[in-house]
Amino acid sequence: MKDTPLSNCERDFLLKAIEEKKRLDGRQTYDYRKMKITFGTDFGCCFVDLGKTRVMAQVSSELVTPKESRPNEGIMFFNIELSPMASPAFEQGRQSELSVKLNRQLERCLRNSKCIDTESLCVVSGEKVWQIRVDVHMLNHDGNLMDAASIAAITALCHFRRPDVGIQGDEVTVFSPEERDPIPLSIYHMPISVSFAFFQQGTYLLVDPCEREERVMDGLLMIAMNKHREICSIQSSGGIMLLKEQVMRCSKIASIKVSEITELISKALENDKKARKAGERCGFAESMPQERITALKMDETPVEMTDVTEKANDIVHNADAPPQMVPSPVVPIPGVGQVGQGVQSTWGLEEDDEGEEEENDNSGEEQDEKVTRMEEEKLESREGDVVEISDSEEEEVVILNPEKVSKNTGYTSHHKGAAATQKRKRK
Amino acid sequence: MEVYGSSGVSLREFGCEQSLLSRPDGSASFIQGDTSVLAGVYGPAEVKVSKEIYDRATLEVLMQPKVGLPSVRERSQEQCVRETCEASLLLSLHPRSSLTLILQVLHDDGSLLSCSLNAACMALMDAGLPMSCLFCGVTCAIDTEGRIITDPTAAQEKESRALMTFAIDSKEHRVLMSATKGSFSVNELQQCIAVSQSASEKIFQFYRDSVRRRYSKTL
Amino acid sequence: MGNVVQSEARGAVRFSSVEVCGNMAGLELLSDQGYRLDGRKATELRKVQARMGVFAQADGSAYLEQGNTKALAVVYGPHEMRGSRSRTRHDQAVINCQYSMATFSTAERKRRPHGDRKSTEMSLHLKQTFEAAVMTQLYPRSQIDIYVKILQSDGGNYSVCVNAATLAVIDAGIPMRDYVCACTVGFVDETPLADLCYAEESGGVSSLALALLPRGGQIALLQMDARLHQDHLETLIEAAMTACKGVSKVLDEVVRQHLQESSVLSGE
Repeated sequence: MKDTPLSNCERDFLLKAIEEKKRLDGRQTYDYRKMKITFGTDFGCCFVDLGKTRVMAQVSSELVTPKESRPNEGIMFFNIELSPMASPAFEQGRQSELSVKLNRQLERCLRNSKCIDTESLCVVSGEKVWQIRVDVHMLNHDGNLMDAASIAAITALCHFRRPDVGIQGDEVTVFSPEERDPIPLSIYHMPISVSFAFFQQGTYLLVDPCEREERVMDGLLMIAMNKHREICSIQSSGGIMLLKEQVMRCSKIASIKVSEITELISKALENDKKARKAGERCGFAESMPQERITALKMDETPVEMTDVTEKANDIVHNADAPPQMVPSPVVPIPGVGQVGQGVQSTWGLEEDDEGEEEENDNSGEEQDEKVTRMEEEKLESREGDVVEISDSEEEEVVILNPEKVSKNTGYTSHHKGAAATQKRKRK
Repeated sequence: MEVYGSSGVSLREFGCEQSLLSRPDGSASFIQGDTSVLAGVYGPAEVKVSKEIYDRATLEVLMQPKVGLPSVRERSQEQCVRETCEASLLLSLHPRSSLTLILQVLHDDGSLLSCSLNAACMALMDAGLPMSCLFCGVTCAIDTEGRIITDPTAAQEKESRALMTFAIDSKEHRVLMSATKGSFSVNELQQCIAVSQSASEKIFQFYRDSVRRRYSKTL
Repeated sequence: MGNVVQSEARGAVRFSSVEVCGNMAGLELLSDQGYRLDGRKATELRKVQARMGVFAQADGSAYLEQGNTKALAVVYGPHEMRGSRSRTRHDQAVINCQYSMATFSTAERKRRPHGDRKSTEMSLHLKQTFEAAVMTQLYPRSQIDIYVKILQSDGGNYSVCVNAATLAVIDAGIPMRDYVCACTVGFVDETPLADLCYAEESGGVSSLALALLPRGGQIALLQMDARLHQDHLETLIEAAMTACKGVSKVLDEVVRQHLQESSVLSGE
């Protein structure tokens, strides 16, 4: 599905507004939209709302063999998923230009700046290291995906706890969270990306462009910094001509914005930690705005169960008799080939036929009982699963119904020339 | 098999928020206990020529797992949700157009498929798409002692002998879709359906309440 | 037999990783006397050698060596849109770039010459650089293809590609606002190092790649990895711009020489 194109009027209007230093949502040139950071129920899950832009990051860990060139370093993997939910223009499973750009920028911002101590992720050198995987899902695209993604990713990494590992000799034990408290990752610094949009060949500059503004911009400059005023990555994109002075000015603005955002992230992490310690319920369910008209919550409700048994029995009773079941299906042991459906042969074995008829009459009348019996038999048959294979064909057959042994043994052994092992269930 | 403690037969707390995303034509998040799913709907919109159907709209359901890329598990759940939606949506009103429903798992703590179904229904309602009836999803588990548990958590699902998810319509409480796992008897199946039908009333009541609340200022 | 080969291969890998570690830990990138690993001074560029018009069938082509990094650039166009017509722009030409690395260009043989995330990104960056520099508005509804291949890689792949492609675009006779010159700059011991080679790049230096239109001092692309304090940014950009201007002089010379040769050949 294609994105709705922007009309010329809209384009002109937006550009005119930017020239007059006005923005659609009433912000000033250097203002960020309202940012909200919430956490999911489990560790390493973080939602970031930047105005209407919404992203989710989830961190997960896995034990893998390290790369041969770096035997004692853990592996970081980043993946930004442009879900079609965020914008109809995003297609699932396709590597678009935007997705490559965002993925590489996030990699550069978080991996190349070495913000995570990868050596502490090593369990056994050259054999087992932790792979930390960060999945960032775009849920709603209203511009500035990169900043939202970088904030979500670093916050999720800070929030994440990996399982503790014990090493005794050659044995590596991974402890569940109940056994030992999971441990956080060691994070040196928090790089945060700040985006600047340029308009009219670089004459006008806006921080945190929204989707409409992104559509009319000439180019974008992304600067990732940490609160120590260290630049972790710079990337310009789009066909713009920058001047050195502009880059310097942007870096100064970025440093201010980054310190504000870092503050917000630490506060959010702190709050979550407190809530978890106090044993309060936390997570997405709790962060749902209650006061909004569009939201509603209902407490745990019991389901009326009183007449369920009767209802079910009624239905079973009133239902048409189930299709004729084969009275004694021959169930081959799993993994054994067999020709045909395993229906009994009717070649002149009259006593057997009579037995069947009798049974059918019974089963028609009392379905309930039959069901229970089947259940019992199932249990029995489970026990009978273990069949010893011996040389004699007679002994291969396991009969679950002892009364009819005499009748059937002869028949079955003839019937089954080729099938190796079979087991019979008898009604 | 015959006795079930009433403790297992309850629905966890419910939550729902509609139109929380600005881009999709309809969106909703549905929360059942800790399980939560976000759904977005786009459409009716232009359809790719290869997917065009001449007499009705093409419905596409995409499910995004939380970690990693969609796999066979997601595909099968997509199928379940799509068939349910196709049964209740009046697709013939929008021939040669596309409807896209995207489901994003936010947290899985059991009963994921039923939560997805509920989120999907809320999102479709929010998008204002014509439907012949509403639908909801209920998951029942039968534990090793034969008790029926409705809306099980992940831990309960793991312990259970059989797991069944039904989609139930709002008009006659009929079963639109069922997805089962594990072994159970006919009687147990009927009991679970009966439980789900009575549970569905609660969910439909919840649908009604949340929609009434949502439109309380306009009505 | 298979085992032996395998263990040998692993040995080789281990050796190379040791080498890299050595760089990080001990090898000083800038000696006390102010000389770098390969004997250059801090602001000295590698030797640039270039030829234009290396292919007859292409509209424009160029071969460029910068030290041990070698690149080949070919330009086709402007021609009518090919492939998906939906990308057609009614007011300007579309630039299509493809970056690839020869499988034999690096010490370890590369499996895929193009198509991975890094190459795709590089193609994007090249496209962006030339969109800024080429006067695309002169060719509405048309397309310009730029193909660049790295034959040997020894650091500064992006900048070598840009420089080679600039010559190829000029050879194709497509008007540009100015030469686009690119250069990488590193930062060691408070000193900017111009035009990094592979050993320096992998030695954990914070590096900055910059594509410049030298006459106006406009930056067509700016990219930086690794940590650097904000206060040093200005000196680094300054150094990169000077280095780019140095490159532009060389390129200008190459172009003039090529024109002279061809005019002599055509007897004018």
